[in-house]
Formats: sequence, C-alpha cells, structure tokens
Amino acid sequence: MKYIFITISILILAVSPFFGQIEIRFAHITEITSIDYKLFWDLRLPRVFVAFFTGALLGLSGLIFQSLFRNPMSTPFTLGVASGATLGTAFAIVFGLVYFIEVFGFLGALLTITILFTLTSRLKAYESSSLLLVGIALSFFYSAALMILFYMSDETQSYEIVRFTMGSLDVVGFENVFPVMVASLLLLILTLNYKKQIKLLLTSYDNAFLKGIEVRKINTVLLISVSIAIGIAVSITGPIGFVGLIVPHILKTIYKKSADKLLLPTFFYSGIFLVLCDLISRNIGSASNIPIGVVTSLLGGPFFIYLLVRRKKA
Amino acid sequence: MLQVENFSNNILTNINFHLHDNENLIILGSNGAGKSTLAKVLCGISYSDAVELFSQMLHLLNAKERAELINYIPPKLEIFDEYISLREYLELSELYSQLNINHVLELLDLQTLQHKPCITLSSGEQQLTMLASSLLHNAKLTIFDEPTANLDPQKTLKVYKILASDSIGSRIIITHDLNLAYKLGYKVLYMSDGKIEFFDENKKFFEDSNLDKFFGDSLKRIDNYFVVNL
Repeated sequence: MKYIFITISILILAVSPFFGQIEIRFAHITEITSIDYKLFWDLRLPRVFVAFFTGALLGLSGLIFQSLFRNPMSTPFTLGVASGATLGTAFAIVFGLVYFIEVFGFLGALLTITILFTLTSRLKAYESSSLLLVGIALSFFYSAALMILFYMSDETQSYEIVRFTMGSLDVVGFENVFPVMVASLLLLILTLNYKKQIKLLLTSYDNAFLKGIEVRKINTVLLISVSIAIGIAVSITGPIGFVGLIVPHILKTIYKKSADKLLLPTFFYSGIFLVLCDLISRNIGSASNIPIGVVTSLLGGPFFIYLLVRRKKA
Repeated sequence: MLQVENFSNNILTNINFHLHDNENLIILGSNGAGKSTLAKVLCGISYSDAVELFSQMLHLLNAKERAELINYIPPKLEIFDEYISLREYLELSELYSQLNINHVLELLDLQTLQHKPCITLSSGEQQLTMLASSLLHNAKLTIFDEPTANLDPQKTLKVYKILASDSIGSRIIITHDLNLAYKLGYKVLYMSDGKIEFFDENKKFFEDSNLDKFFGDSLKRIDNYFVVNL
C-alpha cells in the first residue's frame, strides 16, 4: 500500500511539469533557443518545485501547531499567523516596500505569534480552545486592517493585493524557489532533531517536564521557527489554506501513528498534495488558472469530511 | 535529602518538614487535603523556591538535573496522543536505569500489551504502565500518587512488592490504603486542610489514639489489618 502511494506520488511529480495550458513538445526541452525550453525550465519546473516545498512547509507547520497546541484545529492559518503574514505583505505592497516583502511577511507572522504567546502565558498552560478563539479574533482584526490597506491603495496595488490573497504559485525562474526550499528543509531538519521532545510533549506537559524537557523553550523554538517559515512561504505564494489543516489529519488516519513519526510523511505528501492541486488548477480552466486555494479547499474539504465520517463508523 | 521550609500557597499552609537520606515517606490524608498539591510542589510542576533536594535548591536546577533527582507519578495516566503505544511510552521514560524495557515489561506482566496504544489500556493497566515508566526513569526520589488505586488484589500485591523493594530509589507514596502504609512501615505524614497534622514514625501513627483521632469510627483494626467499618 505504502509503495503504491509513493509510486503514484513520484508519477505526479514527474508528469506535473509537462501539463498546462500550453503543450510542451517533449523533444524540444533541451533546445536552449526553443520556447519549450523556456517554458519548461523557467516556468513549469520552478512552479512544481515551489508547489512541492510550499506544500511541504504548510503541512509540516500544521502538524507542529496541531501537536504543540493540542488541538486538531490549530494551524498557522486558523491561529492567524498566516493572516499576519498576509497583512505584512500587503503593507509592503501599499507602501512601496516591494524589496522587503519577505521581511514584512515574516514580521507579520512574528507579531502574531508574539501576541499569541503573550496571551497564552496569561492563560493556563496553552489552553487550546481560548487560544483558538484568540486566533480567530486576530484573523478578523487582520482582515479589517487589510480592508483599510485596500482603501489606501491605488488600483494596481489593490489588484496586486487581491491576487496575492488568493494565493498563487506563479513564479518565474528558480530565484523564488530557493527561499521556500531552504525554509522548508531547515524546518524539516529542526523538527526531526526535536523528534523525541515533540513526542514527550504529546504525552503530557507534566510528563515532558518531569522527563527533563524544557517545555517552554522547546515550544518557543518550534513555534518561532514555524512562524518564520510561514512568513517566508506566504510572502512568496500568498496564503494557501487547508493544506496544513487536512494533510496531517489524513495521514494520521491512514498511518495511525503519533506526530513524531509523521514528520517526514507529512512533509512529502503535503508537497505532493499541493503539486497535484496545482496540476489540476492549471489544466481545468480554459482561459486562466483557477486560484490554487480554491482547488486545495475543493479537493481537501470533502475528502477530509469523508475520512472523519468513516473513522466515526469504525 | 528533602527539605521544605515554610511553604504556603492557596491550598497549603505552612508546610515544613524534612527527610534524611535513605528515608522513605507515606503521605496520608482525606480527599482534598492537599496531598497531590504538595507532591506537585515537591517535584517542581508547581513552582516554588522552598524545596531543597539532595542539598540543592530545586528551582535552581536545570531540567536534566531535576529529572535525575525527582520524578512524580500521577494518579492517572495523562496522554494526549491517541497512537503512542505502551512500549513507546516506556521508551520515552528510559533515563537513569540499568533495567531495560523488556525486563520491566516482564516484571509487571505487560508484554502482551506493549504494542497497544496507551489510551486504550484499562485504568489498572495504565497504572502499571506508569509504575514501569518510573522504574525506567529511576530518579533518586520518586513520588507515587495513589499507585494502587485502580488495581485488583493480585496486582496490588505485585505493586506492593515493587514499592517495598530495592529496585527504586527513595520514594514518597501518597495513598489511602492504610494496609499498604502500615506494611511498608515508612515514616508517615498526615495532612488535613492543607496543613501537616502528623509527621513521625510509622508505629506512632498506627497507635489507636491517632487512628481514632484521624479516622474516628470509620475504621476498624483487625489483627493489624485495617478495614473500613461498613
């Protein structure tokens, strides 16, 4: 079963760059002067890479948030971290700070995580339901702030913001691939490194404490790293929801293992999931691509509900 | 070995006591007397600057040093994750013991359950799981909070034998089981309403006058066994 999944995944990765609105002539992709060469190496391939590493990053971040906050609903998106990054990026667009878009995206994410942290330290030991409410309240606040930015922006800027908030994997060349690739791989290495600590935190905070884990420190390191990574991803692709929420859940119901064993599978399959969604979004529409966020939600939502219902029955 | 000086919080008042090296302790007291609260202070889960352990102040130790000195086994297994198995849970507890997991599983008859998720175990099995984890952790001082609460007589006897053996370091045992307290013979600390009402040798506690004072006619003594007077 496992091998079938892996084979299908690799197949998706392999065919993905060859399908899109413009047909690529396979024979021409090695000819530097041909349009196919440009299309393949400058557009399609970087796009597949960005899709894979963004998906991987979003999925892994979701898994970490769900584990640390102990709530299946908490992801960087539901807790407002991604909205913070979106707001930061929109701010950079409106005030003409285009070169610092990543920095502002990251600052938005960091600001949110700081607010969440300050508030939760007043609540009892990461009370996850109150935290979720805070996240929801923050998201509303951010969308209001985003509206104000819209109001202040001119036509091209507001168009840019709208495009951005829809989420998009349109990248040109490999320069935009590297930040997400590096961020996602570093996050993977970090979390693999903290595997045992994460597992102890999954038993109980008291147990982790008694076994000599510095609970607060580990939480801080992981959450801040995730926020940085999310800030980077969002600043490049815009907010792409749902991947971080559902892929870890789907894998949990399939693998039936604790989160520390799902780090690598989540990374890999979240990446594949977004590549697949992107493949669909590029090929389903006739005139233009359907926004990637629409596809992730359309595909993921029903499948997720199906899994939940099936699990209740079993 | 253990010293608490003038500690008070919203549940406990004026807690003062100390234990010598190699001395073990039984903590008794009615429900809600503050026994578990005291245990959480002693192991550092509730922060205080009043606890001295093996001549070091608890709140000044780093996480690793603290874990080597003290461990607390709560009355119920708390586990968030639904897939962590008994064996995986024990793997997380392997710290300062010479014993390996297979020994401990055999000792407590848990081999057949080792791959079951902790969350699906019965309360008695969970109790044994925690005892197993305390053996593997092997802190210098372990606090057991009602270690026999959910066990059948055979398992209670098994746990009693382990608690009375040399396979664990110093121990503090919180219990309602007076037979266990009496047979173990450790010093007794009796709490009521967040205060220490009695702290002395085992024999003294089990004098009729004290039993009458603390338990009234709810308790009957028959040939040095203690039964609830139903």
